[in-house]
Amino acid sequence: MAFLNSETKTLDRAAAISTPKKQTILNTFKRDYQLWIMILPAIAVVFVFNYIPMYGIQLAFREYDFSAGLTGGEWVGLKYFEQFVQSHMFVELMRNTILISLATILIGFPAPIILALLINQIKWKRAKKTLQTTVYLPHFISMVVMVGLLNVLLSPNTGIVGHLMGALGFSDVNLLASTKTFIPVYVLSDIWQHVGWNSIIYLAALSSVDPQLYDSAKMDGANRWQIIRNVELPAIIPTIIILLILNMGSIISTGFEKIFLMQNTLNLPISEVIETYVYKIGIISNQFSYAAAIGLFNTLINFTLLLLMNYIAKRVSNISLW
Amino acid sequence: MKRRSLLVLMSGVLVMSGCSEQSSEPETTEDGRVVLKGLMTKHPLTKDLSEMEWLQEAEERAGVEIEWEEVTADWDQKKGAMLAGGDIPDLIVGPNAITDADFAKFKGLFEDLSGHIDENAPNVQRMFEEKQELKELSTQAGGEIYGLPKYQRFWPETATRQFINQQWLDHLGLEQPTTWDELFTVLQAFKEQDANGNGDPNDEIAMDFSPVGTGGFGFFQPNVLLGSTGITLTDGSGQGTFVEEGEVKNFLVDDRYKQMIEFLHKCWKAGLINKEAFTQDYTKYQSVGRGQGETAKVGFTWGWELTDRFGNELAPQYTSVAPLKVTAGSSDEVSWSYDYNTLNYGTNFIQMSSATKDKEAAMKFINELYDPEVSLQVLFGSIGPNIAKEGEAYTILPPEEAEMDPGTWKWTSTWADHGPMYISDALDVTLGSDMQSVGSQTEAFQPALDAVDPEKDVFPGVFLKYSEEDNNTMSLNNTAIMNLAMANFSKWITKGGIDAEWESYVKELESMGLNQNTDIMQTYYDEFMSKQQ
Amino acid sequence: MRVLSRKGKSASEMLFDAFIIIIALLVFLVVAYPLYFIVIASVSDSTLVSTGQVLFFPKGFSLFGYQEIFQDSRIWTGYKNTIIYSVLGTALNLALTLPAAYVLSRTEFRARRFLMFFFVFTMFFNGGLIPTYLLIKDLNMIDTMWVFIIPFSVNVFNLIITRTFFETSIPKEMYEAAAIDGCSHFGFFMKVVLPLSKAVISVIGLYYLVWHWNDFFTGLIYIRDNNLQPLQLVLRDILISNQVFSEGAGSGGAAGGYAQRYADQIKYGVIIVSTLPILIIYPFIQKYFEKGVMIGSVKG
Repeated sequence: MAFLNSETKTLDRAAAISTPKKQTILNTFKRDYQLWIMILPAIAVVFVFNYIPMYGIQLAFREYDFSAGLTGGEWVGLKYFEQFVQSHMFVELMRNTILISLATILIGFPAPIILALLINQIKWKRAKKTLQTTVYLPHFISMVVMVGLLNVLLSPNTGIVGHLMGALGFSDVNLLASTKTFIPVYVLSDIWQHVGWNSIIYLAALSSVDPQLYDSAKMDGANRWQIIRNVELPAIIPTIIILLILNMGSIISTGFEKIFLMQNTLNLPISEVIETYVYKIGIISNQFSYAAAIGLFNTLINFTLLLLMNYIAKRVSNISLW
Repeated sequence: MKRRSLLVLMSGVLVMSGCSEQSSEPETTEDGRVVLKGLMTKHPLTKDLSEMEWLQEAEERAGVEIEWEEVTADWDQKKGAMLAGGDIPDLIVGPNAITDADFAKFKGLFEDLSGHIDENAPNVQRMFEEKQELKELSTQAGGEIYGLPKYQRFWPETATRQFINQQWLDHLGLEQPTTWDELFTVLQAFKEQDANGNGDPNDEIAMDFSPVGTGGFGFFQPNVLLGSTGITLTDGSGQGTFVEEGEVKNFLVDDRYKQMIEFLHKCWKAGLINKEAFTQDYTKYQSVGRGQGETAKVGFTWGWELTDRFGNELAPQYTSVAPLKVTAGSSDEVSWSYDYNTLNYGTNFIQMSSATKDKEAAMKFINELYDPEVSLQVLFGSIGPNIAKEGEAYTILPPEEAEMDPGTWKWTSTWADHGPMYISDALDVTLGSDMQSVGSQTEAFQPALDAVDPEKDVFPGVFLKYSEEDNNTMSLNNTAIMNLAMANFSKWITKGGIDAEWESYVKELESMGLNQNTDIMQTYYDEFMSKQQ
Repeated sequence: MRVLSRKGKSASEMLFDAFIIIIALLVFLVVAYPLYFIVIASVSDSTLVSTGQVLFFPKGFSLFGYQEIFQDSRIWTGYKNTIIYSVLGTALNLALTLPAAYVLSRTEFRARRFLMFFFVFTMFFNGGLIPTYLLIKDLNMIDTMWVFIIPFSVNVFNLIITRTFFETSIPKEMYEAAAIDGCSHFGFFMKVVLPLSKAVISVIGLYYLVWHWNDFFTGLIYIRDNNLQPLQLVLRDILISNQVFSEGAGSGGAAGGYAQRYADQIKYGVIIVSTLPILIIYPFIQKYFEKGVMIGSVKG
């Protein structure tokens, strides 16, 4: 934390130096015109490709009508929102979605941080490189193959994990077939696949730790564990907090494809989530308006959570998205 | 410098947008053929359309040249954007690639062909005259014809055949089962004694079935046992619909379905069903059926055809078993899954964009496809490599490579079952070995299938044209219904408990709109049947 | 071993090292085995793979899967296209993201909070596929390579990561000092910030590159012309195709008992074919994550 506080102080000082006069929009613009030029292309791209299509959001409140265009369908207000909230699946969908994404954040979020710190501790360069390269590889396995791999390895009759379970005396457990094991299998395989990839950003942050900090810590007689706690962890805290805020902002979203592919009739009570439902409803039966309404419902919850998390983070640590 | 390259890119886009005016004249090739754009949702095995001789000839005769876009995967996702963007090619080909619901939703996007058929499509006209039902199949409620159908004539009355390992029966000195109880005894013997004789008494899987999907039932799944109770499944009855004595019903809330689940639970508890039955994928299901070398692993199962299900090496060990009775004394008339309609008829196999510049040329090409000889080539491949023609008689040839099976050969060579076609009943055709063996393996089911009364016991789902609103209602209801039903199906088989939960389950399904769906279908069914008289 | 290179280590230090080695070894094994499995499965008989008889060594060796994959002429066009899209796309991504992130990291920039919100908002709200499709259509980008490069070329997540990095590791006083020497924001950004930020540039570059590399959706929705298809779409086609035809029997014909045996080979082979190029690039990028490449020398 000490590190952060000094950071904010320098910010204030920098601001104080560069703002001698009262700020008006005009004179700050004059001062910052170079900055505006640098950011303008990014603004343009985002405006054109993200903001212009947003008129499509009203589809959630209208009947989709091809001949009248996206904005021409009959206004039906909250009809589709009500339909979703009152649907038989609503409670189950919300519960499953939140359970799965909470589990993913609670267990999946710390994993790459720990891995990055671990890799950073390895002194033998070749071992370090080998481990780093290996753990990031699974990221490139496509979902179809990933789930196929799970099916082969976890099969109770023939898979290696199945054999292992059998050797430990759990031969009757079919990891793929139970509502109890679905979430653990989903979360752990997700960690397996992405932990290396996600640790890259932390490794990069660790690489920017000032070597002098290590030296002075060593002179103070700090042991390795203390160095991790007092030097390395603080260096990646801003990254951690920013990523945590963004993660919390996707709590009502799970991946679609993996869950869809992992679904079977035995785990269905826990594996039907909003995304898979929207797929079944929206794409297969072309209910564009209904799918749009569910999407918007999701977005609103996610966005609210993001605002909340951002507010908390700002109060507690003075780190914020904006 | 980086920003400048961006500007260049951006201005490139502007230039591209500036020069996009297109002429309204149809494009033609040097030899005067009209250029059309086509899209086909083909089978993944199917070779490039440009390599199909019959197709090149058909295009030439119709005076067109078609630039094909060939889609093998993710069509549903691609289609949504394409239709909503109003951005479709002149012709779209594929099995129900565009649905009736799409026609209703995207009004004006597709051409009403009814007028063009009278003027430019004598083959289509003849097809409609010879087979009235094909015209019904293609006509929307308002009388428009947007998509044209297929009729492939030769396919059997059922997709699902029930197989048992005869060698195991002989080895253990057992008779073929005829009732559920006998089946149970046989399966127990398979399981407990070393049926395949390899010295390991535990590697036999007594019963196995195709993985049951979360959206409903499919072929080769244990719900075909409902035939024993007198229920005639139609086209797989994926969402439970069947017809009995002219009344549309749903087996998901039928006591006979409950009875079947109880039997399956008994089998599961005794360890007779593959413990991965609910979690394996189709590839694994098929692989397990192929056993290990000459050692079979599976005793009793369902499939399309023996060599397809067990591979060439093990197929001789197996044989078809006639449909079972529930008990020896049961009075139910035994039935079997009746799939003739879905196997032989199909809706919306080809449609034309209303923005097509030369509709006459496009229609002429469509007409070519429904020429009897061209249709036969759509299904089996070009005359020459795939079909031999002597006088007026056609013979379907075996694959060029000896190790390839006829099914793969057909799917590789041509559009096969995914193409629009009319195989006239008048054509003289000798089929390939695969179709012949399907025929002989269906014999055991023939008595049960003959007992099915198409007038009263078959749900003609293929032929019904729902309104957009009814369609939406039913598919919304079904999403919830199938979610509950399929989860319970597998839960009750693996864990039991159906007795305690059955009544509340039925109530819940009804509150989700199960009866509403059945009522809607009844209305359409009655209307359809009244027109048949 | 290098691990024990420093002399005079305390017992607790050695214990700590031993602990690290054991954990690292465990992680390595857990990750490496399934990867190894993919490699051996790609050259083994699919029936043997799915019935669990392939565990440590390939069985029923054949290269049929690779043969099938490379026979598909679309693969090579796909490779070429993907490389073009990825390189040009990533270049544009960085050209847009890095300056924008720098601007957003300047606390004296008054519009910064508003603009951050402007960007973050798009992570949540979007118009959906149909209006986006119509826009791309109006811009005449359907069936052109530009659709892979220009739309969505600023990824907000990456923008935030980069901004956070600039904020925490470029000392604020540096610009003030540079400004006194007559350095503009442009000059400061090019001459000081970029050279100091190799780690984050390589991370963000890698993120963008891999995103382009793995992107099949753009091709699926916006590309009709076979000659413009990216590698991932071709591979996905091959992959899904094998899934689909294994379900094909139900559609009324015995489809593919013959090709069935190799379905899995193709499945695993596809992974290897599509990952190899990225695997080759990684070590070049990885070296920038090494400790102490940058800041230390400048800060003092």
